[in-house]
Amino acid sequence: MANRTVSDAIAVHGTNPQYLIEKIIRTRIYECLYWKESCFGLTAETLVDRAAVLSSFGGQYGNQKPTEFLCLTLKLLQLQPSKEIIIEFIRNEDFKYLRALSAFYLRLVGTSIEIYQNLEPLLNDYRKLRKQSLDGEFSIVCMDEFINELLREDRACDIILPRITKRHVLEENGELKPRESVLQELLDEDDGSISSSSQEVQDVQENENVQ
Amino acid sequence: KEFDEEASKREVEDIDGIDEQAEYEAWKLRELKRIKTDREERRAEKEREEIEKRRNMSEEQRMKEDMNHVKKQREEKTKGKYM
Repeated sequence: MANRTVSDAIAVHGTNPQYLIEKIIRTRIYECLYWKESCFGLTAETLVDRAAVLSSFGGQYGNQKPTEFLCLTLKLLQLQPSKEIIIEFIRNEDFKYLRALSAFYLRLVGTSIEIYQNLEPLLNDYRKLRKQSLDGEFSIVCMDEFINELLREDRACDIILPRITKRHVLEENGELKPRESVLQELLDEDDGSISSSSQEVQDVQENENVQ
Repeated sequence: KEFDEEASKREVEDIDGIDEQAEYEAWKLRELKRIKTDREERRAEKEREEIEKRRNMSEEQRMKEDMNHVKKQREEKTKGKYM
């Protein structure tokens, strides 16, 4: 019962949303303690409280245990809150792990355009997130790095990400405007040419080495 | 074992703004790299399309395009001379 998708859920990418997490991981989530103790009976509103106290993100770790982050992702897939609510979560400034969670969720269920429109602004968010890796150890991954991974990689947090249309295709079809980086001005001052921007990258790199 | 996990988590600090300047600079570098990768990919994509287009042309079409290109170049050169 508790593991069922809400009855009025709409199929995502042609399937039950929960199936976006492959069966083997899904089963592990259903069996883990956090799922049974902390995710039972959650609603879209009460889920926020759980997400707000998250202190790390990641896929599976240790003995292939799912992270709390992954459990809450499955819960979102089960509950299928409206897109407006998810976008609200993404825009929230106060809880960075809630932002990361809802961005990850939107990457799983959203259309390519929704994903670019709502995730790209987060490339300017360089707050630190703790990531738990396979061996159980923690490391720092900044929000923009995680978002970049979501936009470019086929996999994140051990979950296969649905295919996303390339940005330049959407731009050519007039469905999306080119992305303007907040650093654009800086680049334009430099002529905006590729050589000068790579010069800039080199400069920063050198600075880093000195530090 | 549970305790160890908590301890190793606490060791990795996720508080922001401890060194705001360094955090910003690190981000700036990442952002510039992203822009660079994006531009390079677009350029490679364009090149691929161009090659694809040329490949699908007949010999005469290719010749015609080359001649047009040369003509254009020549015009530009002449303009330069008398300016």
